[in-house]
Amino acid sequence: MNIQEYISSGILEAYVLGELPREEALEVEKMALEHHEVREEITRIEITLESVAFETAVKPAADLKDKIMQQVDSSQQQAGANVVSMPISNKPNYWKYAMAASVSIALVTTILAFNFWSKWKSTEVELNNLIAQNERIARDYNTVNNKLEDIEHEFSILSDASYRKVVLQGTENAPQALANIYWNPASEEVYLNIQNLKELTQEQQYQLWAIIDGTPVDAGVFDSGQSGLLKMKNIARASAFAVTVEPRGGSENPTLDTMQVMGAVGES
Amino acid sequence: MSPIYKGKLTESELIALLKQKDKAALGYLYDNYSAALFGVILRILQDKKVAEEVLQDAFMKVWDKIDTYDDKKGRLFTWMLNLCRNLAIDKLRSKEIKKVGKTDDIEENVYHVEKDYLVQQSVDGIGVKELLVRLRDEERLILELIYFKGYTQSEVSESQGIPLGTVKTRLRMALINLRKELGVE
Repeated sequence: MNIQEYISSGILEAYVLGELPREEALEVEKMALEHHEVREEITRIEITLESVAFETAVKPAADLKDKIMQQVDSSQQQAGANVVSMPISNKPNYWKYAMAASVSIALVTTILAFNFWSKWKSTEVELNNLIAQNERIARDYNTVNNKLEDIEHEFSILSDASYRKVVLQGTENAPQALANIYWNPASEEVYLNIQNLKELTQEQQYQLWAIIDGTPVDAGVFDSGQSGLLKMKNIARASAFAVTVEPRGGSENPTLDTMQVMGAVGES
Repeated sequence: MSPIYKGKLTESELIALLKQKDKAALGYLYDNYSAALFGVILRILQDKKVAEEVLQDAFMKVWDKIDTYDDKKGRLFTWMLNLCRNLAIDKLRSKEIKKVGKTDDIEENVYHVEKDYLVQQSVDGIGVKELLVRLRDEERLILELIYFKGYTQSEVSESQGIPLGTVKTRLRMALINLRKELGVE
């Protein structure tokens, strides 16, 4: 570092006025040891400030010197008195009382500590129970909330005039079966609600078909036993819908002799 | 030439005696340094009674703490000067905290000091005016605030909106110009 730049930065003035943080002050002291110019400049600043103080000196009240000298005397006497009084103190007695006090304090502290410890333990158990209960309630609440959202969504579909309802009646295979399609030709969305479809084996799934220009087109698969509205694949136009039983995952072409329900789309 | 060498003792002799808890040396210290230190304290506190209390505390501190003074790090007067400034500034702040409402906070003080005639007025009675009259206005303001009023450089930088580096160099220029005035080599 350039020493002249260092000196003219004003850091030495700040150092002399005691304004530098400890590390910076140590740095300045190191520089002063290494560079005599820095040392000399510090001394010049010190003498300048000192001279300013002497040039602008103000005499304090005349009795202040006596007050200070008296205070020094009394503080020296106090210090002396303390030194003398220490050996006089009655050691054996003092220790006896100190021991007794320590033992009782230790005893009381132990009892209190145990008392607090057991209270703390039982509080901890209660707290854990409350946390568990709280989690359970939060889970229940979420379930209910999800269910409510589903219902609200279904209700909005059922009450939406742009959805057309197509009733699928049971075929000879399942005369009791029934299903409803809610279909919005504009947005092409298809929802299915099944009622009374029989249980299938693990290997089987139901498959919905849309009949477009006399050709069945896959509209998605679903498991038996579902409630509510099932979202199926989007269908732009269809003259009828039908549900067949297919191997799990669905087929490319419907197995017509397993057809469960069917219904034609009425004129809008 | 320099006022420190008045009397019979050199600075190092004085320090040695003080470290031996020589009461006469404390008396000598008081006779030679109390007025210079009292001026510093009085200009910060602007109240004779309070300034005398602080000066008394300062001399007790010098007496008790003389062992912590290291003459390799700086002159005895600088050590006492900073001790006095710190005590005075602490006193000023504790007083300002007490008189809530009437408080002259730094901004207000600085605002007053900015007006030149008030600068002159506030230091007139305490013999500073002639010394500072040859300084440039901005140098005088910085020296006023830091040395005679006891603000730190960063406080001056913040309240005056002057970069810290500029405050530092202005203080330096002010002290260099004062040297010529005072004949410091």
